[in-house]
Amino acid sequence: MSEQKFTRRDFLQSACISVGALAASGSGVSALAADNKKDSGNKDGLPSVDVLVIGSGGAGLRAAVAVRKKYPNLSVVVVNKGMPSRNATCMAEGGINGVIDFEHGDSHELHAYDTVKGSDFLGDQDAIIKFVEKATEAIHELDYAGMPFNRQKNNTVARRFAGGAKYERCNYAADKTGSILMHTCLDEAITRGVKFLLDHYLLDVAMDGDKCEGAVLLDMQTGDVTPVLAKAVVLATGGYTRVFFNRTSTPFNASGDGIAAALRAGLAFKDPEMLQFHPTGIRTGGALITEAARGLGGKLINNKGERFMSKYSKRMELAPRDIVARSIETEIRLGNAFGEGMSSYVLLDLTHLSEEQIMNELPQIRHVGLLFDGMDLVKEPIPIRPTAHYSMGGIEIAKFDDMSTHLPGLFAAGETSCASIHGANRLGGNSLTDTTVTGKLAGEGAGEYASKQTGFGSGKHAHELAQKWQAKFKEITSGGTSNEMYDLREEFGKQNWDNMGIYRTGDKLEAHAKSLEEFQAKYDALKIPNPNMTYNTALIDYLEFGNLIMLARCACLGALERKECRGAHFREDYPKRDDVNFLKHSIVTLKDGKPTLAYKDVVITKYPVEERKY
Amino acid sequence: MKIIIERFDGKKKYESTYELRIDEVKGQTLLSLLQYIKRTQDITLNFTAACRMAICGACAVRVNGHSYLACDTKMEELLEEYENPESMRISPLNNFRVITDLVVDWEPSIENLRKVKPTITPKSEFSEKTGCVQTQADVDAIKKQWDCILCGCCASECNKLEADASDYMQPFVFTHAYRAADDSRSKDPMIHLKPAIANGLWNCVHCQECVDRCPKGISSFGDIESLRVMAMKKGLNEGMGPAHAEAFLLDMVEGDGRLNEIKLALRSEGVLANTTKLDIAYNLMKAGKMNPLHIFGGEKIEGHAELVKMVEAARKAEKEGTIK
Repeated sequence: MSEQKFTRRDFLQSACISVGALAASGSGVSALAADNKKDSGNKDGLPSVDVLVIGSGGAGLRAAVAVRKKYPNLSVVVVNKGMPSRNATCMAEGGINGVIDFEHGDSHELHAYDTVKGSDFLGDQDAIIKFVEKATEAIHELDYAGMPFNRQKNNTVARRFAGGAKYERCNYAADKTGSILMHTCLDEAITRGVKFLLDHYLLDVAMDGDKCEGAVLLDMQTGDVTPVLAKAVVLATGGYTRVFFNRTSTPFNASGDGIAAALRAGLAFKDPEMLQFHPTGIRTGGALITEAARGLGGKLINNKGERFMSKYSKRMELAPRDIVARSIETEIRLGNAFGEGMSSYVLLDLTHLSEEQIMNELPQIRHVGLLFDGMDLVKEPIPIRPTAHYSMGGIEIAKFDDMSTHLPGLFAAGETSCASIHGANRLGGNSLTDTTVTGKLAGEGAGEYASKQTGFGSGKHAHELAQKWQAKFKEITSGGTSNEMYDLREEFGKQNWDNMGIYRTGDKLEAHAKSLEEFQAKYDALKIPNPNMTYNTALIDYLEFGNLIMLARCACLGALERKECRGAHFREDYPKRDDVNFLKHSIVTLKDGKPTLAYKDVVITKYPVEERKY
Repeated sequence: MKIIIERFDGKKKYESTYELRIDEVKGQTLLSLLQYIKRTQDITLNFTAACRMAICGACAVRVNGHSYLACDTKMEELLEEYENPESMRISPLNNFRVITDLVVDWEPSIENLRKVKPTITPKSEFSEKTGCVQTQADVDAIKKQWDCILCGCCASECNKLEADASDYMQPFVFTHAYRAADDSRSKDPMIHLKPAIANGLWNCVHCQECVDRCPKGISSFGDIESLRVMAMKKGLNEGMGPAHAEAFLLDMVEGDGRLNEIKLALRSEGVLANTTKLDIAYNLMKAGKMNPLHIFGGEKIEGHAELVKMVEAARKAEKEGTIK
């Protein structure tokens, strides 16, 4: 389909025709040839696009731009379950890692080593070595695309320290780096002719034989189920830390839709138990206080007035996230914290900074302190506690160079994907790098793949899936009580936090695995008392919740069987790292709807496995 | 208290009223209150939210007619602002198509952003391989505009959009055009400026409501003014808007210091065009808002000499390059 001819209106009209016809004709294959793509294989005339990107955070937008730049003849559509700019990328604060100054001792080797060590040696070194080189390119590309980084005195991009890094290589734009980066990418996508399909929710990935043929979407505005054919699909739907519903820094929509869809399509979920806890979430609600606050000398203080990090790490507050997060939780357990239960906290002290410095470098987090706790960090230390922050695990990537998955035609990028850059613990500043680097690679990979395809898939599977979903929606919107689902979700989040959180034990995880199956059974019986399909947000909440339960079950299985401590995964009953048995990736797939676990070796090329000390 | 929410189910409009105790309201943000209502009273209520910390822009709505970013608005502050009212009315953003309840359609906004090509085309000395060079002062010049989170509060308040949206764009679109045009790395501001002019730059009615309601303290009005100055400097001074601005200055300096509406209209739009506006002029005169005799000039305002001095000093400084 040529880009000129493609408008959203056409797209939607053909989508609606197809779904209407689908409903009318039962098997529904015949009447849809209006699209008349004789050579395309798209016999049903389903809406089609060369590259379909699902998700519009940094990774999705970078992927779309990459296609447009390298393959300008291909059409690209970015799908989002809302307006494109409502995503987790814009919430990133501290900065984006990438060495741009090679004059003062820093190098790609050091960035790679820090990342490998940060990952607790669970990162794949072949991918990481390529990743850090691409990181440098990414900073310059973003600068060239118009991202207004803060600047140093010599007018190059400004940098600061991030946890676990030996040199200042965290490039930043105040403490809104993610927002500014994402808007740079959005502006570029808009300028370069990327089309957006707003208010569409990913239901499933469709296959033609052993190839990806497109996706099935829910048009949230109308309630129509829309099969869309694509030569290549990029999943960039973000992470799944909303499994801890009440205590996470991520947005409400971080429900891992892409990972869940990939699992249902038969792909593997790699290292699902690797969930990062950020040390400094605001006491009330867990919104993020950036690591840059500690990079600028922020001190962590317990109820005895001690700067307690001295007990845990030589690097003090700038130890990696997993270590700082556990140190704070340990202080809470020792009774050295303020408050009680879920509202326990320690203090983060930034009062050594001037108001001017804070307004220049940390204005956003000052705002967060005032908004949620009514406290001004210019004047007083603010209460913080760890908060679930990032999913290291994700869809298993077959090849880092193009971010392809094991399903031909399906690519993944950003937090959705797991190319094993971050292993068991992601370093601060590496997520925006991940989003930018893997987004571009996936876009170029999908573009290349699409340009080699002679036509679209048959649409048969997409069609079948669409029918299945339509029937399901009719059934689940036919009853139930108002707060049943939300009460269940609340309880689900709390139990995940208590049993699959920062400290884990075999007993707790075993019980939790059972309890998650009960959650699944309750969920399967749920109904929503709102049959109106016009932008039915309760239905979206329902679908997201279903994905979260599935992903939590996978994470729980991975955590239960990984009988060691590594990075963010901390087992009190196995307090040491076990390289003999667990220098391996957990690979979880679905068999008859149940998660099953296998392992895969970590790729070690350059950096020998050693004790991880900070 | 009563929370009244304006509803739309895709076919018909109606209202829902939710009774809440004051202790259920206090301590909440407007967003958490909406979530509380959805969770406990009415699962059919639709609104959008994502980050809940004022950075993603998803949850802007109107309270008693004015736009607020719901996650960034504490209920206590609202109660104080409206003097502890018995009820509050929540409605979707104005000047957007409503899809349902508090959910609005963003697609036309994206298409408007597309018109002004919001990404810079960097100068030829820069490259994608090595990036750009920019001073912190040049970053600071556009830093505020980059705080825009596309929440739509400004567009909701815009009087021009409400009167006629056919020849105008959302205020934030102009902010995006300005930050690209004014970026020191940009090769050519015209890329963004020309489509801004073609799509209503001179049609802003100066009400400044957009400035008043922006949760990030951005002045889209100011950015529109800056773009206009840029246009005049680039010689893009043909058409009604620039003539209007010139007429303003002429009145201030060479006239009596009073804005002469009759001359303004005649100078801006020409005599012929104005014959169609006689009815407006008549109404203005009847209401005492315009004196027809002013076409011959009126008394100079107090301090007119100082005003002339100020404008002349500014012109001189501009020539010397001390101000931009």
